[in-house]
Amino acid sequence: MNTQLLPAMAASSRGTRKGPGTFTAQHRRRLFRADLLTTSAWASVAAAVALWLADGGATGFSTPAGAFTALGIVAGLAGMDLVLLMLLLAARIPLIDQTVGHDRALEFHRKLGKPSLYLLLAHGILVAIGYGMAEGLDPVSEAVSLWVMVPDMWLAYISMALFIAVVVTSLVAVRRRFPYEFWYAVHLLTYAAVATSIPHQFSVGGLFAEGTWQRWYWLAVCIATGAALLHYRVLEPVVATFRHQLTVSRVVQVAPGVVSIEMHGLHLNELAGTGGRFFIWRFLAPGLWWHPHPFSLSAEPLQFDASGRGLLRITVRNLGRGSAQLAAVKPGTKVAVEGPYGIFSTAARSRDKVVMIGAGIGITPLRALLESTPFAPGQATVILRGRSEQELYLGDEILELAGNRGATVFHLTGGRSGRHPGSWLPDSTTKAGYRLADYAPDVATADVYVCGPAAWARNVLADARAAGVKEDQLHYERFDW
Amino acid sequence: MRIRSAISATLASAGILLAGWQSGIHVEDTRGAAASTPAGTSGTTGATGSSSGTTGSTGSSSGTTGTSSTSGTTATDSGAAAEPTTGAAAKAGGTYAGSVVQTRFGAVQVQITVNAGSITDVTALHLTDDDRKSIMISNRAAPLLKAEVLAAQSADVQTIGGATITSDAYLSSLQAAIDAANL
Repeated sequence: MNTQLLPAMAASSRGTRKGPGTFTAQHRRRLFRADLLTTSAWASVAAAVALWLADGGATGFSTPAGAFTALGIVAGLAGMDLVLLMLLLAARIPLIDQTVGHDRALEFHRKLGKPSLYLLLAHGILVAIGYGMAEGLDPVSEAVSLWVMVPDMWLAYISMALFIAVVVTSLVAVRRRFPYEFWYAVHLLTYAAVATSIPHQFSVGGLFAEGTWQRWYWLAVCIATGAALLHYRVLEPVVATFRHQLTVSRVVQVAPGVVSIEMHGLHLNELAGTGGRFFIWRFLAPGLWWHPHPFSLSAEPLQFDASGRGLLRITVRNLGRGSAQLAAVKPGTKVAVEGPYGIFSTAARSRDKVVMIGAGIGITPLRALLESTPFAPGQATVILRGRSEQELYLGDEILELAGNRGATVFHLTGGRSGRHPGSWLPDSTTKAGYRLADYAPDVATADVYVCGPAAWARNVLADARAAGVKEDQLHYERFDW
Repeated sequence: MRIRSAISATLASAGILLAGWQSGIHVEDTRGAAASTPAGTSGTTGATGSSSGTTGSTGSSSGTTGTSSTSGTTATDSGAAAEPTTGAAAKAGGTYAGSVVQTRFGAVQVQITVNAGSITDVTALHLTDDDRKSIMISNRAAPLLKAEVLAAQSADVQTIGGATITSDAYLSSLQAAIDAANL
C-alpha cells in the first residue's frame, strides 16, 4: 500500500501537471452535448405542437367543443413525441450513451413513462369530449361511435390498452412481483402499441396529411427512431459479435461464488479504453444463450495476450439465477456481445484527480478503470469496501496496479454500522467519526467513481456531496437492473 | 437539469412555438377566405354554377368520395333537366339536386337520379368534411344511407348511429331533391 503522497497543492496543481486541462475540455464538450440533447428533446415536443399550429391547428379554439378537441390533439402530439423520445433513449445511441451514460438515459426513459401515458390518456379523453360536444353526445357514446364509425379507431384503442399495460408493468411496485422475463415480454409490446397507434394518425389525425409540414416532421422522426433502434440494438450487436468472435478461454475462481471469465477474441484493440464500461453478454450454451447478462470489464482489453490473442475479462458473482450458471461455463463457449455501454470510464472524467470507491463485486470495474484512466502519481485514491478481505475481489491486483501507478489504496473491511444507516463505512470507523474526506482529502476537486450496491452507493454519494463534490464530478453505475 | 440547458430549452421551445403560431395565423386567414367562397355561391341551390362550385371545393380540400368527381357533369344535367320538368308533375327520368344543408361539420348536398318514377341512384355532391374525422364518418355513412334510401324509396329512413348530424343533413337534402322531382 502506498503512503499518502501529497495532501497539499489542491488548487495550484491544476494547469501544471501532465496533460492538464484535457479533462476540462472533454468535460466541457460533454456538458455541451448534454445541454444540446436536453434542448433538442424539449424542442421536439415544441416542434410537434408548433407544426400543428403552423398547419392551422389553432382555428379549433374558436368554439368550446373545438377547444377540447384541439387540446386533445396537442396532448396526443406531445404524447407521441415523448414515446418516440423514450424509444430513442432506449436505443443505446452512442451519442446519448457517451453524454449521459446508459443508466441515466434509462432513468430519463423511465421518468418519461408516466407523463407520456397521461398525455395519451388525456388525448383520448379530451378528443372524446370535444367530438362529443360537437355532436351533442356524451364522451362515452362518442368513444363508442368513434370505435364503430371510424375505421382505424379500434386499433388506436388497442394501442392505448397496450401502452397502459407497458407502463403499469414497469411501475416499481408491480415490476417487483414478476420475473424480469415477464416484464421484458410486456415491454416488447411497446412496438405493437406504437404500430397500432399509427393508422389513426394517418387517417383521422392529420400527422401525415399530404401538403402539411407535420407530415415531413413525423415521417422524419418516426423513420429516424426506427432506424436508430434497428441499427444500434440489432445490427451493431450482430456485427460486434461476428467481428470479435469471442470464445470463453478460462474460468477462474476468484473467491467463493465469484469467478473471472476470460475470453479470447479478435480486433480487441478497437475496444481500448472500455475497461470499466459494460457489455451485454450472451453465452451461447444450452440453457444460457437466451439470458443476456450486463457485466463490466474487470480489466482493460488486451490486444495480444501471452499467446498472441486478444483477451477480455469479466468478473462476476452469482447474484441472479443466470449468474449462478455462469461459474459452470465451459471454455470454448461462443459469446455474443453488445456494447460497450455506459460512461463508467475515462470519458466521464472532468478533473485531474480521481477517487474510486467500490464495494463487493462493484470493485471489479474500478480495477479496469484504475488500469487505464490517466492520472499523475499521487492523484488517485482507491477505497475498497467489503465485509471481509475475501470480499475485496481483485484486491491484490488493485494493490499491484496502484503500486505501479502511484495511487493510494484503502481496504475498509467490516460490517456496516447498524446504528448509522446513513454510513457507508465499517462500523468501527463510523464510530471513530471518519468520513470520505478523511481518506481522500482532495475529494472536492476530484472525479469520484462509485460502484456497489444501490443503498450503499447512495450513502457514499451523500458523503461525497457533503464533502463538497459537485454533481458533475460524481460518476456511479447502477448494478441492480 | 442545468441552468444553461433549462434556459436554452425554454428559449428554443418558445421560439419554435411562436414561429408555428405565426405561420398558423396565416394559414387560418387563407383557409377562412377559401371556405367563404364556395359557401357564398352555394346559397343559390340547384343552379348549375353552384353545384360545380361546391364539387370543386370538395375535390381540392379532401378528395372525399369517388362520386364527387363525376358529379360535376351530372349536376349540369340536373340544371337542364330540372327546369322543364318543374311543376309538370313529371315522373320522367332525370337527376335532381337537393338543397345545400349546412351543418357544424360542413355542407351536405345530395342528388338523386330518377327513372320511371323511382329513385335509381343517390349521389352525394358534398358531405361533411370540416375535419378528417368528419370525412371518415361521411365516407362510412354515405353508402349506408344510400342503400337505405334506395330500399325505402324515400327520405323516411333510420339515421346512422354515430353520424346523426351527417344523416339528418343528408336526408333533408334528399327530401328537397325528392320534392324537386315531384315524386
